[in-house]
Amino acid sequence: MSYRKAFIVSNALVLAAFVWAFAKDFYAPWRPYQAKYYQMAADELDKQAAAEKDEKKSADLKVAAKKMRRSPMEIKQIISVDLGRFDRCVTCHVGMDEYTNTTLKNNFTEHPYKAHPKVDTALIKAHPFNKFGCTSCHSGQGLATTVEAAHGWVKHWEKPMLKGVTIQGSCVKCHDNFETLKGAEVAAQGKKLFNKHGCQGCHAINGKGGVVSVELGDIADKPFERIAGYNFKKVRIDGKELPNEHHDSHWNLQNWIRAHIVNDPAVVTPNDPFAHYNSEPIPPSGMPDFTKEIGKDEAEAIVAYLSGLTKEEIIPYRYHVTAPPAKEPQLSGAANGKRVYEKYGCQGCHGLEAKQGRRRFNAAGDGQKEYDEKMPEAEQLEQMNLGAEPTLPKLVGTYTKDELIHKIEAGVPAADAKKWSPKGPMPMVYMPAWKGKISKQELEDLATWLISIGVKDDSGF
Amino acid sequence: MPTLDIEKIKKEVIDSQLWRSVFRGGVWKDTPRDRAGHIIGNVWLHLHPVKVRPRALEWLYTWGMGGISFALYLILTLTGVALMFYYRPTIGLAYRDIKDLEFAVTLGMFLRNAHRWAAQAMVVAVIAHMVRVFLTGAYKKPREFNWGIGVLLLTLTLFLSFTGYLLPWDQLAIWAVTVGTNMAGATPVLGNEGPLGSLVGMRINNDVRFTLLGGTMVGENTLLRFYVMHCVAVPLVVGILLILHFWRIRKDSFSAAPYVANEEKVDVWPHLVKREYIAAAATVLFIMVWSILQNAPLEAIANPNVTTNPSKAPWYFVGLQELLVYFDPWIAGVVMPGLIIVGLIAIPYIDTNPKGVGYYAWKERPFANTLFMLGVVMWFALIYIGYALRGPNYAWYWPWESWFMVKPAPPPTWSVFGPKGEGAYSMLIGIPLMGAVTAAWMLLPKLIQKELDGKKTMGAFLGALAVVAGIGMAMGKMGPIEGAFLLFFTGASFYYGFVLPQRHIRTLDWPRYLVTMVLVVSTMSVLLKMCARLAFNIKYVLTIPSISMNF
Repeated sequence: MSYRKAFIVSNALVLAAFVWAFAKDFYAPWRPYQAKYYQMAADELDKQAAAEKDEKKSADLKVAAKKMRRSPMEIKQIISVDLGRFDRCVTCHVGMDEYTNTTLKNNFTEHPYKAHPKVDTALIKAHPFNKFGCTSCHSGQGLATTVEAAHGWVKHWEKPMLKGVTIQGSCVKCHDNFETLKGAEVAAQGKKLFNKHGCQGCHAINGKGGVVSVELGDIADKPFERIAGYNFKKVRIDGKELPNEHHDSHWNLQNWIRAHIVNDPAVVTPNDPFAHYNSEPIPPSGMPDFTKEIGKDEAEAIVAYLSGLTKEEIIPYRYHVTAPPAKEPQLSGAANGKRVYEKYGCQGCHGLEAKQGRRRFNAAGDGQKEYDEKMPEAEQLEQMNLGAEPTLPKLVGTYTKDELIHKIEAGVPAADAKKWSPKGPMPMVYMPAWKGKISKQELEDLATWLISIGVKDDSGF
Repeated sequence: MPTLDIEKIKKEVIDSQLWRSVFRGGVWKDTPRDRAGHIIGNVWLHLHPVKVRPRALEWLYTWGMGGISFALYLILTLTGVALMFYYRPTIGLAYRDIKDLEFAVTLGMFLRNAHRWAAQAMVVAVIAHMVRVFLTGAYKKPREFNWGIGVLLLTLTLFLSFTGYLLPWDQLAIWAVTVGTNMAGATPVLGNEGPLGSLVGMRINNDVRFTLLGGTMVGENTLLRFYVMHCVAVPLVVGILLILHFWRIRKDSFSAAPYVANEEKVDVWPHLVKREYIAAAATVLFIMVWSILQNAPLEAIANPNVTTNPSKAPWYFVGLQELLVYFDPWIAGVVMPGLIIVGLIAIPYIDTNPKGVGYYAWKERPFANTLFMLGVVMWFALIYIGYALRGPNYAWYWPWESWFMVKPAPPPTWSVFGPKGEGAYSMLIGIPLMGAVTAAWMLLPKLIQKELDGKKTMGAFLGALAVVAGIGMAMGKMGPIEGAFLLFFTGASFYYGFVLPQRHIRTLDWPRYLVTMVLVVSTMSVLLKMCARLAFNIKYVLTIPSISMNF
């Protein structure tokens, strides 16, 4: 090829590449959605104009239809200054853009054309779109203008759109009164379940609760890098693995939390209790198995509640709705003792109504075989899993009331644990010292209740 | 009907006052004078000579890499200036501005991609340019100085790319720059973690790393600093050096090859200019298509509290990061790159071989070409290992292994000589022994005056190694893989570091010989240390902790 030809061809190709680049930019993914919306809305107006008897109104509608048809293609965005959000969702979801669709209502049924449901409700009226944007409640990537990226179904966007009822977690962000709030019932139920099963015994939220495990006050901000380096491989939902894709929308925090409730957490985080290479064995997650107590829907409620626990998002204080402190029922004696047991989350380890102590990995206890070094690993694991927290009714019979109160106040340090396998890891869960955390009267009542449910020792000793 | 006389219109346009005021010279007649005038009369073209030697035009001789590097520099300047209209270097806005470029700015994504990919391509092109110049011996007298400027330009190209790496302010950026700048903290004397650093009062808040970052960690000041360096300071220096570089090429002539009798030069316009244009157009096309098809990476917004695992430096520095596995940071991050830069600049002054100027000469320059190419191959091999084979916790992952597979912790390492080494007096034995081995290695090739028989020497050495490996295996200290490692790495170091210098450079004068041997031995020490660490888990061969000297 001569240089003259190469000159012409290369120039033509560069020009073609530029046209290609510009075309790719011009025909952005949002464009067809917006164009189709204008067309559908204009058709709708034309239909109304044809049905309209009043000539003047009909003419007006026709003008409006024409105008709608000629609307310029543009990136639309809602800037929520207070909440620091720049939400371009309305670029495709034009039905939810109040400048194009002033009534915020339409008859379309398909996304992204359909209008926002329930715009007449007090809920939406209290949260005007132009003030709150979209992602304040829905999450997702407001700045993005492609389908996958905007909904947050891409790698490196860690807050994808909240699905189903988990969106109620967003109410929790501002509404301290969410437990009595209309529309936040699932999140409220989630909090109730959280406390009913004793999660607060180990997990504090905003400083309230146990110190055994991690604080959950900002669990919704947990970076995926801290989830064992983005590893969702062991997560099982409905007994199934998540789709094997990093950027799949299933790899999200909601599924990570859910996996700890609908699965045995020790399966999600098995670690290495035999530690072939490290000097220290690492126990699996110390969290007990709640699968027999908490169903799928209940887990969903807990996930919804926890999804709202964020500190990363900057929400001005005037957006917060405070709530009066919840009134505690006035009980006394053993009845109050049972309430105290549940209030502080003792059931998180000792079981609902203290009936059965939960798993305490590698603790020595009843019902285990004698430790034998030659036992195969699978069997050892089984035996370690049989380690449990004390089942209180069996135990309290051997205590006087004062001894029991003293025991609860002092706790049992982690280091005092008796291991089943001396080579295995230290049991993770321990009894914290409750002195100063539970009031004297509450302790009295708790001890009264515990002794009342104790199994009487009739052996004569 | 009057016919259109194009020639007449052309003449009238060119003779008009407007045309004459803009372009000097008269009607184009394609005479040698016109062609010369085209170069001389044009401010952009006049860095070219009027005539060049025909062999300077051959693609296979030049690869066009110098011109392509400059074309990429121009693309980077244009796209960079365009991007500056949209980018604000503060940690509150930088990441959002990049998102805006991706999702809202017309051609924003394309511009960012083009800038990113052109930067990567420029690193490759500049290195390829250097390799070509080396292989054709074009750095030899009188071009030594220009080669030095070229080495500085290569360094600045890497630095430009590195400073640009931080600007998107995502996790990739902040941790790559953290890895890169932490090495600066290990600079001897000037860094707070380097040897002798604490002795002269270096702390985390006054050392060279602090100067680079504008703080003790990558933050707001670092972003502003890197932005100014990336957009203003470094391009300015590069521009000045480029002018020097081009000027010297023009003065020293475009081809270094010896003159042929009756050689006739050809006009730069159009012969050279048209080639440059095609190379530039092809480069632009390549970058454009690449930018259309592939988007530049952007990870989650930078978070100093969440370390990515693994954290890796930009790819062209990953080779040095890989060296961190084998050496202390001050060696891997400061001494080694320093030796590379200084060594490259020194090459024209230590290479006294008059042959192989202006053409590819493998047979006439066996030592220079072999050692240089060995360095280049090692540089890219280390990059490949660090980039592709290192997964979470910087553990070794083969390409077919999933990074979600948890690797067992590496076996414990040990040191041969030193307080924690083998035996109570090992430091007392180790220091003189290491010194003696190094001195012997440095001096023996020259002191043995007769050329050794390469095959016999290698055979003897490998035989001795095989015996050592055999004894080791018999004692159960190593397996066949370790034995193979030992034979390969030590054998290669012996061949490239001893047999070749003995054969080729023992006749050099002492100063040149010693400088060459320092470079050769440090290159081989990388190979030997890789073997020691990968096969035998040796952390240090000699460690003197009291002055943080570990080898």
